[in-house]
Amino acid sequence: MNQLALLQNALVVGAILFSLGLVGILTRRNLIVMFLSAELMLQGISVSLVAWSRHHGDFGGQVLVIFVLTVAACEAAVALVFVLQAFARTGRLDSAAWQSLRESNLPRRVDRELPAVDTVPPTFPRLTPAGVLPAADENDLLQREHV
Amino acid sequence: MIAAALPSPGVILAGAVTAAAVSLWLLLPRGADSRAASWLGGLLGATALAGFVLTGRRLGGLGEEAVFLIVSLVAVISGAATIVSRSPVYSAIWFALALAGVSGVLLVLGAQFLGVATIVVYAGAILVMFLFVLMLAQPAGLAPYDRVSNEPLLSAIAGATLLGLLTLSIGRLSADPSCCQMPSKAAAMAAGTAGKSGDDVKAGDAIDSAIATDPLATDQVARLGGELFGRHLLAVEAAGVLLLVALVGSIAVVSRHGDPSGELAPGRRAAS
Amino acid sequence: MQAMSPATLLVLVPLLPLLGAILTVALGRRLGPRGHLPAIAGIAAAAVVAVSLLLGLGREVGIGDAGHAPTARPVEMVTTLWEWAGVDAAYAPPAGSPAAADTTRADGTTELRSFSIPVALRLDPLTSTLLTIITCVGLLVAIYSIGYMHDDPGYPRFFALLAMFVFSMTMLVAASNFLLVYVFWEAVGACSYLLIGFWFTKPEAAKAAKKAFLVNRVGDFGLAVATFLLWMTYGTLNFHDTLSADGTILPGILGQSRIADAAGYVGGAVGTAICLLLLLAACGKSAQLPLHVWLPDAMEGPTPASALIHAATMVTAGIYLVARCAPLFVVCPDALALVSIVGATTALVAALIGTVQNDLKRVLAYSTISQLGYMFASLGTGTMLGFTAAIFHLVTHAFFKALLFLGAGSVMHSMGGVIDMRRFGGLRRLMPITAATFLIGALALAGVAPFAGFFSKDEILAALHSKGWPDAHGEHHDAAPASGHAALPLPPEEGRPGGNSAALVHFVSRMTASSESASTVPALDHPRTWQTLFWMSLITAGLTAFYTFRAVFMTFTGPLRVPDEAGHHSHGGAGSAAHESPPVMTIPLVILAIASAVSGWWLFATHALSTFLAATPSLTVPAVTATATPPAFHFDLALQGTLAAALGIAIAAVGHLGRRSDGPQIERFLGPLGTLFANRFFIDQLYKGLVVKPLEGVALVAAAFDRYVIDGLVDGIARIPLALGAWVRHLQSGLVQRYALVGVLGTLLIMLALASRLR
Repeated sequence: MNQLALLQNALVVGAILFSLGLVGILTRRNLIVMFLSAELMLQGISVSLVAWSRHHGDFGGQVLVIFVLTVAACEAAVALVFVLQAFARTGRLDSAAWQSLRESNLPRRVDRELPAVDTVPPTFPRLTPAGVLPAADENDLLQREHV
Repeated sequence: MIAAALPSPGVILAGAVTAAAVSLWLLLPRGADSRAASWLGGLLGATALAGFVLTGRRLGGLGEEAVFLIVSLVAVISGAATIVSRSPVYSAIWFALALAGVSGVLLVLGAQFLGVATIVVYAGAILVMFLFVLMLAQPAGLAPYDRVSNEPLLSAIAGATLLGLLTLSIGRLSADPSCCQMPSKAAAMAAGTAGKSGDDVKAGDAIDSAIATDPLATDQVARLGGELFGRHLLAVEAAGVLLLVALVGSIAVVSRHGDPSGELAPGRRAAS
Repeated sequence: MQAMSPATLLVLVPLLPLLGAILTVALGRRLGPRGHLPAIAGIAAAAVVAVSLLLGLGREVGIGDAGHAPTARPVEMVTTLWEWAGVDAAYAPPAGSPAAADTTRADGTTELRSFSIPVALRLDPLTSTLLTIITCVGLLVAIYSIGYMHDDPGYPRFFALLAMFVFSMTMLVAASNFLLVYVFWEAVGACSYLLIGFWFTKPEAAKAAKKAFLVNRVGDFGLAVATFLLWMTYGTLNFHDTLSADGTILPGILGQSRIADAAGYVGGAVGTAICLLLLLAACGKSAQLPLHVWLPDAMEGPTPASALIHAATMVTAGIYLVARCAPLFVVCPDALALVSIVGATTALVAALIGTVQNDLKRVLAYSTISQLGYMFASLGTGTMLGFTAAIFHLVTHAFFKALLFLGAGSVMHSMGGVIDMRRFGGLRRLMPITAATFLIGALALAGVAPFAGFFSKDEILAALHSKGWPDAHGEHHDAAPASGHAALPLPPEEGRPGGNSAALVHFVSRMTASSESASTVPALDHPRTWQTLFWMSLITAGLTAFYTFRAVFMTFTGPLRVPDEAGHHSHGGAGSAAHESPPVMTIPLVILAIASAVSGWWLFATHALSTFLAATPSLTVPAVTATATPPAFHFDLALQGTLAAALGIAIAAVGHLGRRSDGPQIERFLGPLGTLFANRFFIDQLYKGLVVKPLEGVALVAAAFDRYVIDGLVDGIARIPLALGAWVRHLQSGLVQRYALVGVLGTLLIMLALASRLR
């Protein structure tokens, strides 16, 4: 196999994944999708690192990817806690909910009215209950005391 | 012969990058969803991918070529789907598929442990965490903020430009053995060509590199472990501590802001 | 004192008051009620030195020397302190001017003149007389001010300004260079501004000070242009002759070598222009028509300042200038005649206005203008008698006018600041010393024998009479003026400087060539003119007596009336009633009264002043000495003057003696003429319409330009960063993804730059 070709193609794949992740972070407003895009970027980096590691013929890149994996896990854990805190304060997972750092005389950015989605909301089949439902009232379902 | 009839690789690359930009712009959620835009975006995306494939070097054998093409296409297309899906749950599922593709690429590159670890850690743990959060926090139906994006055009152009630059630099890597070598390796090679000392070093390196480059080598994981706990022991320990810190930290943040008095209640109701 | 040379003494005369001024400025606050000491010490020392210089110079001229007859040769002494400015080989004088004549070498080429301004002082009889007057009257006024200004918060400032003024004035009369004269001309104007506006928080005082300064400025412009013309014509600005490097004498403008030279002075267009410009300067400083409008308003200043500056000394600077430049004037007979016309007209107009004034100080101000007009009228005759009579009148006028002003100040001081004569009366019992001295001053001003004004006014009338009726005096004007007549109006000058000098050259050559031909155009210097001026002066004498004694009768006779403001201050516990002024104020009054009474008689009888002044270099020019007559007492003229004065006093007595001062006023009696006089012939209104309003319009346009165009430009430039900021501000929107996008774009730019470099 042409080693240089493999290296180059793998690097291109890594670059594509990285760019896609970048576009996702810059664009999407849902916090969860933003973090998914960040993870996508990290995948691209992993591919590039492993490609280089193969080209050099040693394990340096792979070791680095292991650490990247570790750090990504920690980061995801902590970040998701913060996402839930943000959700607790604003009630939605919108990155545009947090605009207080803007200049004091700029107006708050609000969305234009969107056309209604004219898809029919899916109805899910009702299954016959197998067993007894636990005794729970409506309020409980809606309330969560803490996350 | 096909290559002779086509325009120069630079032009193809430019065209592919442009097509990628436009397709991303069309595919990203922009408020009003039109089917035509989605189809056009998909078409252009496919064109862009074709362009990238065409300008790449051939790998050698057809088998290797096919395998690599399949796994990388899976990874790329799933990645694109991740970022353009309207529903975040769909994004998560597509991300799982992207992880599968990436794992395949890593395996082709000969990283056995990492190929599996990606699936185990990412898809098995991190992705599940994301899904839990979505369960807790995502409103039913499409939220309005899932149907709009911030600056889709500018971001698509930025991403495509970055991709173009990176591809250009990657394309300039040459077959010169002295190119892109680690300094110690380059020095060893220079010493090797001069026929100087370090035969056993050269032998060890050759074995290592053979193992590292062979996807089907048997003790690759052991070697990787030896490397990890040998040269990078301190970093491993630090990574362990980091995991502990992250664990404790997230619990601490959660419990500090836990408030049973009902302050968070309005947030909960709005989520429904 | 004998050990010191006259040169050192001459330098001391301005130096000591300057030191006094500096010390007052430095220590005045600390000295408190004794803040007058440095200034008075300086002025007193300067007075002593000036008197000793006077005596020494008199001895040299031969006054009082029983054996010799006094010489008519010029006596002067020059001391050069340092060279203020100098440029070598600076200027090529135009061909045909005396400057060119001086610098033409034997082979016909002209060498370049050097421009040199030495700080030189010159002592001659005219200077010495004026120095004595300035310092002695200044000293008396300063002593008077100790009492007058004693409860004023600006006490040290006043004395500092007085000393500064004495310094400037002494330097002005002692300076031997036209540029130095200009500098100190401005300096006395500045001191006058500061003293008129002494109480600057009062708006009228501030406006009056501004008006004085601006009107003086018009005159200063004349002096400046005259200086330029003098430099161009004569190639030097020095009065005295200087020695150049190779031993040749560079004649000064008023130096002895030029005076002795028959063709030393330029007449014609250039000479007349110089004389008219000098006359303009003198009119500005000495408050003659049409620049007299500042002097009545200057009465807003403290009375001692008015006494010193606007009666005795500063306003006499114009007289000094014309007398000093006598050689320049006598070669332009029309200019001389114009001097007399301006003087006599001013005298008459001011006297008419003074008859209807109700403010005591305003009466005295118009009286000053009128008497200065007399002096100019006398100067303009161009005879030795005329010049010496003018200086004689200057000396006596200094005494009695200062006396009258200080007396008015004394009245004002005890009346609590009220000076409107209709509000008080019959003060002779309340303030006997003031009343007696004021009466002596009034008699001197009115020209009643044997007080000072009688003799000096008599000499002026004699000078005018001798020009009006030349045969009656038995002498003829044998010596023709050195150069020919020039017909008025002056030919227009061309615009370019080169053109100016070409025109200069042309006219100078034409006029000097035609000096022998008799004039065919009737000039101003005609006996008919002088006769008119004589009658005008006689009428003015009568009016002078009238308004002076009107003031005296309104103030000091009649029932005793004191206004309410009087007596609200106490002189060391003297109670709250109006009273006579303290001795520190009355003693100077007495001294000046003695001087007014005695000086005229004494100076006339001994002919000391006229013989003394005849030794002034400026007055030894042949055109003037040819007109010298032996001193005589003109009985017929004296009789006419006395009759006019008696008539004036009688009419004033009929109107005001013994009556209440707020009764029917003369203004209503005169009807429309009275309105004309009371409105000062509407000259102020004319100036307001012709000059002030257009200037205000220009100022408005300039202000609008400044506010809208220039400020608009600056504000517009200031708005650019604001606009830029407002535009850039949108970058910081609070949306984190936007920030990340900007970061990514920046990184891309750097990568593009690097990539293009790698290619």
